[in-house]
Amino acid sequence: MALSALDPPGTSSRTLPVADAATVRTSALEVLRRHRRDFASVVALYSVVSLAALAAPFLLGRLVDGVSDGTLTTADVDRAGLVLLVAVLTQGVFAWLSRRASGVLGERVFAELREGFVDRAVELPLSTVETAGTGDLLSRATNDVETLSWTVRLAVPTVFVAGTASVVTLAATVAAGPLVALALLVGVPLVVPVTRWYLRRSRRGYLAERDAYSRVNGSITETVESATTVEHLGLGAVRVARTDADLRRCWAVERYTLALRTRLFPLIDTGYQLPMAVALVWGGFLVSHDLASLGQVTAVTLYLRLLVDPLDELLAWIDQLQVGAACYARVIGVGLVPDDRTATDAVPEGTEVSVRDARYAYGTGPDGTPLDVLHGVDLDLRPGERLAVVGPSGAGKSTLGRLLAGVHPPRTGSVGVGGVPLVDLPLPELRRRVALVTQEHHVFVGTLADNLLLARPGADRAALEDALAAVDALGWVRTLPDGLDTEVGSGATALDHGRAQQLALARLVLADPHTLVLDEATSLLDPRAARHLERSLSAVLTGRTVVAIAHRLHTAHDADRVAVVEDGRIAELGSHEELLTRGGSYAGLWRSWHDAPTGPA
Amino acid sequence: MRDLPVPDPGAPDLRSPWHYLGGIGRAQWRTLTRGVALGVVFMTALAMLPVVLGRGIDDGFVTGSDGGPEVVWPALLGWAGLLTALVGLQAVAGMLRHRAAVSCWLQAMYLVTQQVSRHLRRAGTTVTRRVPTGEVVSTIASDADRIGGAMDVVPRFAGSVVAAVVVAVVLLRTSPTLGLVVLLGVPACVGVLALLVRPLHARQHAQREVAGKLTTLGADTVAGLRVLRGLGGERVFADRYRARSLEVRLAGERVARVQAVLEGLQVLLPGLLTTVVVWLGARYAVDGRITAGELVAFYGLSAFLVLPLRTGVEALEKWARAHVGARKVLAVLRIDPPVSDAADADPDAGRRDGGTAPGLVDPDSGVTLRPGELTAIVSADPAEAARVVARLGRDDDSTRVELDGVPLTDIPLRRLRRRVVLSEAEPALFSGRLLDTLDPWRAHSTAEVEAAVDAAAAHDAVDSVPGGLGGRLSERGRSLSGGQRQRLGLARALLRDPDVLLLIEPTSAVDAHTESRVAERLQRTRAGRTTAVATASPLLLGRADRVVFLVDGHVVAEGAHARLLADVPAYRRTVTRGVD
Repeated sequence: MALSALDPPGTSSRTLPVADAATVRTSALEVLRRHRRDFASVVALYSVVSLAALAAPFLLGRLVDGVSDGTLTTADVDRAGLVLLVAVLTQGVFAWLSRRASGVLGERVFAELREGFVDRAVELPLSTVETAGTGDLLSRATNDVETLSWTVRLAVPTVFVAGTASVVTLAATVAAGPLVALALLVGVPLVVPVTRWYLRRSRRGYLAERDAYSRVNGSITETVESATTVEHLGLGAVRVARTDADLRRCWAVERYTLALRTRLFPLIDTGYQLPMAVALVWGGFLVSHDLASLGQVTAVTLYLRLLVDPLDELLAWIDQLQVGAACYARVIGVGLVPDDRTATDAVPEGTEVSVRDARYAYGTGPDGTPLDVLHGVDLDLRPGERLAVVGPSGAGKSTLGRLLAGVHPPRTGSVGVGGVPLVDLPLPELRRRVALVTQEHHVFVGTLADNLLLARPGADRAALEDALAAVDALGWVRTLPDGLDTEVGSGATALDHGRAQQLALARLVLADPHTLVLDEATSLLDPRAARHLERSLSAVLTGRTVVAIAHRLHTAHDADRVAVVEDGRIAELGSHEELLTRGGSYAGLWRSWHDAPTGPA
Repeated sequence: MRDLPVPDPGAPDLRSPWHYLGGIGRAQWRTLTRGVALGVVFMTALAMLPVVLGRGIDDGFVTGSDGGPEVVWPALLGWAGLLTALVGLQAVAGMLRHRAAVSCWLQAMYLVTQQVSRHLRRAGTTVTRRVPTGEVVSTIASDADRIGGAMDVVPRFAGSVVAAVVVAVVLLRTSPTLGLVVLLGVPACVGVLALLVRPLHARQHAQREVAGKLTTLGADTVAGLRVLRGLGGERVFADRYRARSLEVRLAGERVARVQAVLEGLQVLLPGLLTTVVVWLGARYAVDGRITAGELVAFYGLSAFLVLPLRTGVEALEKWARAHVGARKVLAVLRIDPPVSDAADADPDAGRRDGGTAPGLVDPDSGVTLRPGELTAIVSADPAEAARVVARLGRDDDSTRVELDGVPLTDIPLRRLRRRVVLSEAEPALFSGRLLDTLDPWRAHSTAEVEAAVDAAAAHDAVDSVPGGLGGRLSERGRSLSGGQRQRLGLARALLRDPDVLLLIEPTSAVDAHTESRVAERLQRTRAGRTTAVATASPLLLGRADRVVFLVDGHVVAEGAHARLLADVPAYRRTVTRGVD
């Protein structure tokens, strides 16, 4: 089967970088260096286990020699038994100690990796966070970190342990009978080529497998979350067929990796065990030429058997290491996003935000020219005013909002506060001056108070309650079982979209910047509640400049000025009354919305 | 190998977790049987390697006239040949056993997934109400895997039991004492090790619990990153994550400690068995009761016992896990569907040409949808209007609504869902080709799909997907804005073109410009068909043939939007939101 058939069909392009192989290597070596003492002690402890394991074949070789030349006595046997007992006890105790050390080490290293990931993620540049969406980041925070957990907690310690055992046993085999040990070489041509062949293919196979199963989970999640749609549109059969198709894909990938193992397993199994048979014959030759003793032949054949398990284990976990490395590349890739702003020392004079001939493009056309979504916008916000931005979907309202909040710099032109470009301000400074709340709200896991305090750490309860009152939320917060201390967010008390939006606005009130950009920030509340909220909010925000992007016209009606954005330009700008008098598109829309239409508009 | 997944997973046995697992095992008994046979061959061949090696040493090397060893080539080559054959046999049998075991694993895993997905088809809406999404998904993401693991271990377990017995028999033939040491020792070791399985599971469970919460916390932090980067608080969250991460690390270390003990004992206990066997064997060798080769064989046999021993412990562990998994799967499979066809339902009920009183009537609210009309349903509480519309669409079997005089609950669901379609305010879109989420039934031409997109004024949504209708949507259409998703959902409902279309707040996330376009086109597209819209938007209300105004869930006024505006003050307050 062609492996390309296993690759997922084109999904949305990756939005965050993935580390290349060299970066992954450097970073992994850095982790090893940081924990070199712990890694060394695991290796040391397990070396003891491996050495103790060698006692049995060694003693057996001696016993066989003794039997064959008839010199063995019961006292010898008892002594050998005692040595064996001590060896077994040592082996058991040190196996326990080394597994404990390696397990604890795995936990530590993994904890460090996941904490590093979150540290890097929360430092991502503002523009990346706003445009990349959370999908890719979320899958790195969950799927990749979880897969990495298996690798670091289980695969890395096992590989160290099995690697130590292989090396020690191999050394002992050679030491016990250097000539007899040559039999090992027959295994090499069997094991090495097929292992290389396998490892070249297995990584992609297992990654495809991971992807196939995450698709099954994804589509079942969709089915569950969309239960109502599925029921009422009669999509049950369609969804069942989708799951079956996803499973067929899993089966195809499983068959591919199984085919790889079908070729690998018999060859390496033979490669590991065949040297025993060869050692017997080769040993016969050596013994008949007085080049080795029967005891040596025995010991070596038995050592060869000891070698099978660690080698098998090594190979079994190398796959997991490869998959883990792919996840690791995505996890550390998050730290590779370059910063999107270089702050200058310029200090804004005043609080007036102005936009001059601003253009912005999210991408370029096939010939490389930027595809502008804003075509030269000029706008001066009057400090303390309330400006409503209306216009059809896709006209560029949200893009204008992001420029006004300093998320992106304009492609050409300028957006600044008090004469300083917004993107020249250090992030904490920017936050003090302008803030953006969008329709995409989020309730964090934690208490309601935790959810508010992030905007102003250290605020007292009264300040929190005032902020909630300003967004009409104090009423329902008081009805919650624990008030401000109620646990909310995923897995706890669920807040509906409207309440979540109120919470987002309350955070903004606490942060208290002088310019606020609200992009559909009340769209999920029912219309009457939204209007009431906006009125109580503007009572609290006197003196603050508010830019409200809205699809409900009452927001425009209540604003000081209205900007109508159409096709990336400000088509109309003025007060509600002025625009009505002007009789442009705003006036037409207002009439059809407000007055009962009697015929087609 | 059996082709997977099977077309029909069959009905699950819901009596108990063990019954359920039994049912899964029965469904794949052929593969299991083949796996067991191969497992026995594989393990026995492995066990016999040291015996053949021992015979090779005995017969291949004799004490020569000078007292030193002398090689008997024919015997040595013969036994080495047999050894090679045995190595080949175990390699091939091992590979075939692996294939059978993987097949067992996957058959079980896919069967569980298929049963869950088929159950969701019938009972999805109740399942979502009763069980958190995460738990439903984990039935297929982890419980199915555990059940698969229980099947996978069966062939190896059977092989282990047989191989351990073979080893014991070989030893018994030479020495009853040695045979008994093995026969009693192996089960005793498994018994001791099994004692550790329970505490290990308890700690693993605790670790998974906190680790799951930490994953949620990490996901939560990155999902809310816009807020954190926009307003601040990222350090607080990173520190909180760090604190929880420490708890998870400590829980993990507790698991590692028990696992280390288990690991140590898995080395120590069989090691002690080996010591006893070798020591006794060597004493017999001194007495001349056994040969040097037999001593080697005894050592090899007892060293081999590590494998069956570990497999025994693994099997116990996997079966315990599978039992837990089966219980969780059953918790989902046992949930009854919200709507179902009565056993004695008339298959002809609700045909388009049947019925006595045309229209859709809800006796509880007094709402009537007249055939061919666009009816708007308004309530001061939007949730109330939504509830009435949901009832008109039989969202559960308590509804008393009648379609053309026939109770909805008497109409076969297939027919009902074809004739009456309900579309929510936030209709779900699905990942995959955009065309397939708009026409999931694959029953319409591209021209029809484009017409529906046009009717829902959703061109901008289609254009924003790279590749347009043929392009791909991400999971649940998350790359689109709320308004775009809403209009694509509306386009899909319009494309279905049902006799009765029920819409809940279909334009709540759409800007006024676009909403006025949607309102006009909806009226045009649904001309002559029955449509109900729960809304308070004047742009839609102005297009309705008739508006029904609800107070406390009952109709208090009906008529044209303009007339109600003029005559009913409460209505006016509701729809103009106080703008005067």
